[in-house]
Amino acid sequence: MKTRTPYRVFRVVALVVVVLSMVAPLLWMVAASFKTNVDIYDSSKALAFSPTLENYTKVLQQANYVQFIGNSLWVAFAATVLSLILGVPAAYSMSRFSMKKSALVVLMARVIPGVSLLVPWYYVFSNLRMVGGFTVLILSHMFVSLPLIVYIMMGFFDGLPMELEEAALVDGLTHIGAFRRITLPLSMPGIATAGILSFIFSWNNFMFALVLSGADTKTLPVAIFDFVGYASIDWGGLMAAATVVTLPIMLIALFVQKYVVSGLTAGATKG
Amino acid sequence: MLRRSVIGGSLAVAVAIGLSACGGSGGGEGDTGSKTVRVTLANHVWTENLKKALPAFESQSGLKVEITQLGEDQLSDQYNVKLNAGSSDLDVMMYRPLQEGKLFAKNKYLADLSDQTKASKDWDFSDFQAGPVEATSYKGKPVGVPIITEREVLYYRKDLLAKAGLTAPPKTLDELKTAAAAVKAADPGVAGFVARTGKSPAVTQFSSYLYSFGGDFDSGGKSAVNSEAAKKAYAFYGGLIKDSGPANVSTDMSWPEAMAIFTQGKAAFYTEADSLYKNATDPAKSKVSDTVGFAPFPAGPAGSKPYNIPSWALGINDASKNKANAWKFIAWATGKEQTLAQQKSGVPSARTSVWANPEGTATYPKDLAEAIAASAKGGVGHDRPQVVKVAQAREIVGQPIVDAITGKEPGASADTANQAFQKFLDDEQK
Repeated sequence: MKTRTPYRVFRVVALVVVVLSMVAPLLWMVAASFKTNVDIYDSSKALAFSPTLENYTKVLQQANYVQFIGNSLWVAFAATVLSLILGVPAAYSMSRFSMKKSALVVLMARVIPGVSLLVPWYYVFSNLRMVGGFTVLILSHMFVSLPLIVYIMMGFFDGLPMELEEAALVDGLTHIGAFRRITLPLSMPGIATAGILSFIFSWNNFMFALVLSGADTKTLPVAIFDFVGYASIDWGGLMAAATVVTLPIMLIALFVQKYVVSGLTAGATKG
Repeated sequence: MLRRSVIGGSLAVAVAIGLSACGGSGGGEGDTGSKTVRVTLANHVWTENLKKALPAFESQSGLKVEITQLGEDQLSDQYNVKLNAGSSDLDVMMYRPLQEGKLFAKNKYLADLSDQTKASKDWDFSDFQAGPVEATSYKGKPVGVPIITEREVLYYRKDLLAKAGLTAPPKTLDELKTAAAAVKAADPGVAGFVARTGKSPAVTQFSSYLYSFGGDFDSGGKSAVNSEAAKKAYAFYGGLIKDSGPANVSTDMSWPEAMAIFTQGKAAFYTEADSLYKNATDPAKSKVSDTVGFAPFPAGPAGSKPYNIPSWALGINDASKNKANAWKFIAWATGKEQTLAQQKSGVPSARTSVWANPEGTATYPKDLAEAIAASAKGGVGHDRPQVVKVAQAREIVGQPIVDAITGKEPGASADTANQAFQKFLDDEQK
């Protein structure tokens, strides 16, 4: 069937508008990261400017960003893996044994604003002499990623047919064996989604790292504010740092978006 | 099951309250005398200078200084969490006396420094300017040492003035108004005047206008933002931006935006804190570094009354167990020698002797040094309402500024703001 022309024109225009408005700030950020501080404010040099790599030198050499990238990667990775190890089996049992109320309690962790927990946490962890270390950062990030993973995976497990496991049980597998050999391999897309989302949340988390990290364990979102001073803002450095923070996560998202989208709908419609 | 989780929930809340309660009382008795002093500082030129000088202090005193450095607002957030939890992890804190000083002092986060400030003759507390010292005191007792001060001055463009046929920068606010209009008439592409327009950020720079018209935010617990003087000041500030400001001016500008307009050569006059002057005179940041001039804040009906305030101070966490060594660090960082070195590299200090020393102003543009000297004399010691919840108060008293810029009737808006501010002050008294 042929689509009518006005509709097609509208479609193209709408797409262009949406894409431009989404991409423009990103492009501005990347462009600004190659400009000097004087040029950034100059609207006549929005597109035509002589690029400089000075900002990136600053970010990667002087400002110690390599270390902060390492910190962020480690915290996000560890928090995600640990949350997956705890969260996937938890989600499985909640889904299979109808533990809806336990699920509600897990959800509470998402409902309570994180900021209200910061003071008690800080109090507890500083008395345990843990503030400033990686352990406390990973634990606090797990607080965000665990409920997320449990919820996505619950929806996913609900959608997997019970019959597959029953067949495995008939064939002589134990419950755990059925989970390990049948359910787990089938739920890989869901695990990928949950893992990636949890990684992104952890990568972007600012609040917990602000209070609980130390000078050596700072993560990227906190470190980025080093470029904002009281009486001076280094826009070029800030934009270069922001590009450095955004790039890895964008690359990851680009490669795995297939999983994310299919996993999200799997959780949403069958949950 | 449900009931149990409700109980569990309230238990968690109770525990949290209990924790913060014992956090508050987990006092700072005893002195461990640790050789490590933990210092939290803001991102500032002052901090960068200090870090360079630090090794000398460490080897001379035998102390180790651990610095945590954060952005202005991040610093504030961190203090709120850590101090609320009664943490003794902080020894020395760099804080904003006018923004959070009253809150910190009221919550007993800041140690009383009466004894320390009296103890040392060489260090000489009487050398600090009166206005800033008042702002770092609570109930008559010093709780902080001012390290960085600022005043509002007039930034202007020498070349644009000449083009509009003016020979000298305006001395009064009326002259400023005429001059700004003349510049805009001579070149419609250039704004006559620019300044902060955002509701909250504009409050501090508006304050000098308010004082120079003879007003203040409050007097003795009574809101005064709808006094005749205040109404005139609102109308003047807003009107100046509306009539001579940049076309389609945003009402969301803080200093980075307003400064950008000025340093890109798009405005002739700009009233702003003197501590930002390097943004205008540094060729790497400014296109007008050759043509920028400075003048004292123009006089209003009540004279020229800019603020003269400490933007940052050092205090000691009352829960710190290392107060003696914390003071050693402060005494060094705020001593005459360090202060002079700081001021030479562009950080305006609070010490009279450093301002009196020709070396102290040698690196400043000559007209700026003169403008600062003039402002320090008649300066008012606050640039925003002196309350506990400063952020909230700024939102209230800043609304008429925005209304005046957008062309609403400033008088009516000031009346509304006055009502809200009075209620705010009453609530805070309770």
